[in-house]
Amino acid sequence: MTITPSDAAPDDVSTRMADAPAISAVDVSKKYGQVSALDRLTLDVRTGEVFGLLGPNGSGKTTFMRLLAGYLLPSAGRLTVAGLDVLNDSLAVRRRIGYVPESAPLYHHMRVGEFLTFMARLRGVPEREIASAVARVVARLALSAVLDKPTGKLSRGYRQRTALAQALIHDPDILILDEPTNGLDPRQIIEMRQLIRSLAGRHTVLMSSHILSEVQKTSDRVAVLLNGRLLGVRAIADTPDLEEWFLSLT
Amino acid sequence: MRTLRILFAKELSAILASPIGYTVAAVFLLVLGYTFSLTLFATKVANLQYIFHQMYVLSILLVPVLTMRSFAEERRSETLELLLTAPVGELSIVLAKYAATLTLVLGMFAASLVYALILDRYGEPDWGPIYAGYLALMLHASLLVAVGLLMSSLTENQVVAAALSIGTFLMLWFADSVSYLLPPPFDSVAINLSLIGHFKPMVSGSVFLSDVGYFVTASMLALFLAAWGLAQR
Repeated sequence: MTITPSDAAPDDVSTRMADAPAISAVDVSKKYGQVSALDRLTLDVRTGEVFGLLGPNGSGKTTFMRLLAGYLLPSAGRLTVAGLDVLNDSLAVRRRIGYVPESAPLYHHMRVGEFLTFMARLRGVPEREIASAVARVVARLALSAVLDKPTGKLSRGYRQRTALAQALIHDPDILILDEPTNGLDPRQIIEMRQLIRSLAGRHTVLMSSHILSEVQKTSDRVAVLLNGRLLGVRAIADTPDLEEWFLSLT
Repeated sequence: MRTLRILFAKELSAILASPIGYTVAAVFLLVLGYTFSLTLFATKVANLQYIFHQMYVLSILLVPVLTMRSFAEERRSETLELLLTAPVGELSIVLAKYAATLTLVLGMFAASLVYALILDRYGEPDWGPIYAGYLALMLHASLLVAVGLLMSSLTENQVVAAALSIGTFLMLWFADSVSYLLPPPFDSVAINLSLIGHFKPMVSGSVFLSDVGYFVTASMLALFLAAWGLAQR
């Protein structure tokens, strides 16, 4: 049960989106009443990189991802995805992204194949291309063994893969993965890590985690969030001791 | 339109995959059959007015059971996050849920046509009030489903959604009774909000545009509010 690595060379992405950052946040805030979930966040994610968001629970990682995915609206600031404003071009932004929420939600009355077909239709994949799109993600995520299984009966690992498959079904430019290794066993974590790395280049990947080693092994760059504020951004290559850097910031 | 069709198919499959729809339909048809037989044997009159009133009451009690899960369940299981981050408008999501639930309710109502056929076989019913009665029931169902969806969109707890819906329906049902306690012009507002006040004339065969307008406007308002509420996130 191995996950097929990407067949795309990392450099392919250069033709997809110019030099503009794939994701750009300028002074983005999100408030729930008086509570500030995100406080004037300014951040760029480069095209084709795997960018890790690191921080404890409640630090604002999920809020930031939900803002990018269009599930939440920012209280202030400007947020662009692939050069498109998430407020003014919401539908266009949603076409460009694939999003996997933390809980990897699936429709339990559907089988895996049905679910992926439904999500492909919902994400605007042309009818004649749906079968090949489903076959592509099924092969890539090694889902063929569970294709006819109801999603409600999947193991955590398969659930996470199915959720990732729906996010990849329309071949989006940008993938937003909220705690993608949450609840997986060690083998599944390694497979998920390899998969995320294989997506780099062809896709821009923004992933969150509260596990330092996960981010270190998967990401090109990392940002640390705490209490809704950005504490720092570093390239993993320039950060031999991520733990020490993290502790110095928090 | 394609999106609406895709979402409608998904909603309908969700309804058909759940035991709730079948249970509600079974209870509805069982109670209705029982009432029809009793009424027919007791009165020996070939009309469906009593049955229409029975369907009115049963709808108020059973439609919330059908609508309670539509948004509340999606919120609880977090699948709403999948829908709202896909490139689809909030109105499409609401309309698909509305159309799918209404299809089930109208399907239940359609099963009652067998009573009209029985009356036609053994008596000489006046078809005008029967046609008008079914029109009234369709409009009534439309309003109940729309308001039920609105209530479901406000919470992630299905029981709360059902309770809010039944509470709202009962308040609308008895709105005209409250009018006696209110000073003008609030008394006429209460009378005009009354569900039964707009339902009754149609069931007896008198179709007024104002009654049709009430159901259509209230349904549209509830659907609009549900979509607007989803967009405020």
